[in-house]
Amino acid sequence: MIKLFIDGAAVEVPEGTTVFKAAEQAGIALPHFCFHPAFAPEGTCRLCLVQIEGSPKLELSCSTVIREGMKVVTQSPAVGEARRGVLEFLLAEHPLDCPICDKAGECKLQDYSRDYGLTESAFREFKEKRDKKVAIGEKLLLDRERCIQCTRCVRFLAEVTKTHELGVFERGVRTEIGILDGVPVQNGYSGNLVDLCPVGAITDTDFRFKTRPWFLSRAESVCPHCGRGCNIYVDYHPGLPRVPGSAKVFRIRPRTNEAVNGPWICDVGRYGYVRAQNAGRSDRPFWNKDGAKTELGWDTAMAILGDKLRALVDAGRADRVAVAATSWLTNEELFLVKKIFRDDFGSGRIVLCDPRPGEGDDFLRRPDRTPNARGARELGFDPAPPALEALARGTEVLILFGPHIAEHFRPAELRAALDGIAVKVLVTPHLTGLEGLMDGVLASATPAEKDGSFTNFEGRVQPFAAAARPCPDVRSELEILAALAGSLGLRPDYYGRLTTAAAVRRELAKEIPFFGARA
Amino acid sequence: MTKAPQVLTEFFWLEQLPRIEAYVARGGYEALKKALAQMKPDEVHDEVRKAGLRGRGGAGFPAGVKWGFIPKGTDKPKYLCVNADEGEPGTFKDRSILSHDPHLLIEGIVLTSYAVGIHAAYVYIRGEYEMIARRLEGAIDEARRAGFLGRNIFGSGFDLEIVVHRGAGAYVCGEETALLESLEGKRGNPRLKPPFPAAVGLFQCPTVINNVETLANVPFIIRNGAPWFLDLGVPKDGGTRIFGVSGAVAKPGLYELPSGTSLREIIFTHAGGIKDGRKLKAVIPGGMSSPILRADEIDVHMDVDSVAAAGSMLGSGGIIVIADGTPILQVLRKVAAFYAHESCGQCTPCRLGTSWIHKTVERMAAGRGQAGDVDALLRLAANIQGRTLCPLGDAAAMPVAAIARKFRTELESGLDRAGVRP
Repeated sequence: MIKLFIDGAAVEVPEGTTVFKAAEQAGIALPHFCFHPAFAPEGTCRLCLVQIEGSPKLELSCSTVIREGMKVVTQSPAVGEARRGVLEFLLAEHPLDCPICDKAGECKLQDYSRDYGLTESAFREFKEKRDKKVAIGEKLLLDRERCIQCTRCVRFLAEVTKTHELGVFERGVRTEIGILDGVPVQNGYSGNLVDLCPVGAITDTDFRFKTRPWFLSRAESVCPHCGRGCNIYVDYHPGLPRVPGSAKVFRIRPRTNEAVNGPWICDVGRYGYVRAQNAGRSDRPFWNKDGAKTELGWDTAMAILGDKLRALVDAGRADRVAVAATSWLTNEELFLVKKIFRDDFGSGRIVLCDPRPGEGDDFLRRPDRTPNARGARELGFDPAPPALEALARGTEVLILFGPHIAEHFRPAELRAALDGIAVKVLVTPHLTGLEGLMDGVLASATPAEKDGSFTNFEGRVQPFAAAARPCPDVRSELEILAALAGSLGLRPDYYGRLTTAAAVRRELAKEIPFFGARA
Repeated sequence: MTKAPQVLTEFFWLEQLPRIEAYVARGGYEALKKALAQMKPDEVHDEVRKAGLRGRGGAGFPAGVKWGFIPKGTDKPKYLCVNADEGEPGTFKDRSILSHDPHLLIEGIVLTSYAVGIHAAYVYIRGEYEMIARRLEGAIDEARRAGFLGRNIFGSGFDLEIVVHRGAGAYVCGEETALLESLEGKRGNPRLKPPFPAAVGLFQCPTVINNVETLANVPFIIRNGAPWFLDLGVPKDGGTRIFGVSGAVAKPGLYELPSGTSLREIIFTHAGGIKDGRKLKAVIPGGMSSPILRADEIDVHMDVDSVAAAGSMLGSGGIIVIADGTPILQVLRKVAAFYAHESCGQCTPCRLGTSWIHKTVERMAAGRGQAGDVDALLRLAANIQGRTLCPLGDAAAMPVAAIARKFRTELESGLDRAGVRP
């Protein structure tokens, strides 16, 4: 460990640490544009300058490596003047169109300008006119007037995705970012450029002009779109409901976790929320009776299902229930499925029915299309698609979690097999057409709307909390399962405790060593 | 006046000099033969170190010291890069060596490579010097055929190949790390230092980068010894310099004179004084980036340390003479336009500062100057100087600040007057 002094306070950091990181450790955030922890120091924005005793000039904190006994001053008249100088230069050629800029409110240039008190400009010249709307990728627009040439975008594509779509063109004040060889950014990770851009130069057509960052609340969550389990922020609007009583999700951003996803997420995870949260949702339970669809309130729908199951139990045919779960469910929900239907109902027909795997890549994306395949495996579910006949034969009540069974069987086949089952209920957040074969549908919550945990492909159990609120007649699968256990009067001393994800997770850790070791 | 000693340029009059026969006939490659036969690499290095050879490219760093920064016992290949990207306005000395005496450079390259243990040298030559580049390539072929290059030079077991690489026209590629980037086939942006090229240079390997004129001095140092060389100049800056005198003098051209010759003597004795009976107004002493000197400031010795003490820079030795009748604003316009055009654009103060200065100066020239413009220029220059990634920022800021400071009255008297000659 090396000891140095930052603004008079002693700091101890490992050898090879930069002044910037040492300051960060001491709780001092130094202003910066070009520096990003994922890349080697670039040293071009010149904003992170600090004073180092014995050095005639100001030094870059991002690239200067600490020495024993070094004395660093991060705030001084000379440092302030240099930083103001840099900001003044940047603002001189900046369009100052914050009122119509998506980045306003979370823009580093805005923040630092306020920090350093820059409100008036000495610039008496004409600003450069540049392109304001250059399509550089599928959902990416580049505003060259706002660009401050930090080149984070260029370096991301060179160092992280290694796809090199963007480059620096021209030089001097004419310097601009552009696409090389006319090939736009389309590599499955393009949305990260929007997060990386410290100003509003690269904006996302998906988010553009929809809301203002200061209206959004931020919740920590885990991406459900593959087995990686990237850590994310769900940015939602608490005051602007999709339908009364719900909260609207506006965007997904990466939440840095070096062990899982670093500071990045893929575009599927980033833009998947549109479908996951908003498109094709089932908002209310309904029951098909004699071919007519009747929308029901939550309590009524649950009462009907409860009655059907109670009838089986009363008739001593509790094992005639079959359940197809999915690894879209949380560890806690899958655990309850097993406990209730295998242990208490005694059914031998508890299977897993997942979507077919897709393609992965050599970076973050995994081929599995669900967030909790590993969790399901650890809970004893067989990942192979179920045999339809075995699932259906002798079954009187079938509960499907998720509509994925339709991916594995032809419609006629499915219809024929399910026809003989008296009661068929689908629990799903999305309607995909399978509901026509069902007797009832219970609308369930998406991962962003519930508490729980997923186990990623490496066996990392990642708890998360609900970010958005679902519609009033929508419940999480955990709530549905707990309510069923309650209304059927199953072991009240056991299930009575298991009404929250946290409580189920504690029980899970107690009963299954895999989860116990990771609690 | 005694005739100044000529070293580098002594045989420039010889029309056949670029041919190897003529070069050998006047004693060429003798130093190389001597070094390879009688001297160890360290002895060659020591001789250059003792000779006080300062870099001729602009920064004036002692060449022998620079070579000493190459790590000893590295298992990586080492490279020599010859900076022939002569781009500093007012500078035209390296082209004279390259075109009149290419073998002198080649001999300097081989000696330097031998001293440092280098087996591959690259000459990064300004793209506009096409004819010169071809001549150099011809000379390299001749030297290789004669056994002065290639494998086992003079039977000594020492190998060296030289490659000529043409630049593409960016001033910034004369900055040593931008030169390396460009040579590697990338955009010519200066690198963040440290690491310095001596440790991590071309292709990530230890690299020496020297200017053409610097290397051209090495054969003479080896042939005549360090004391002889030191004796030519001043104690910390040995040898001669090829000063390029341009502008309002009677006899513009190249003058090889001892380091430390007075600027007044160069202008008034050698270059024939100011032409057309005009009076001296100002001198830019070492290429455009060196701070301007007023007419009353030219009693300065032209060696690295003396010019620095006078508040300017010996730089590349390109002396630009400005006579009465030339509006200083016109000089300022050229300076501002050049650096705004040549800034690579990667770091904030240089990219935007040079452009801001240029816009302000152009507005002043268009007759729309305002009170406070001169102070604004000084403030802008101060916001650039010392705060950029590479020396181009300083090179842009220093001349602007010097002109604004020393010619404030003239600049301000013109502020309210439209129509300065475009």
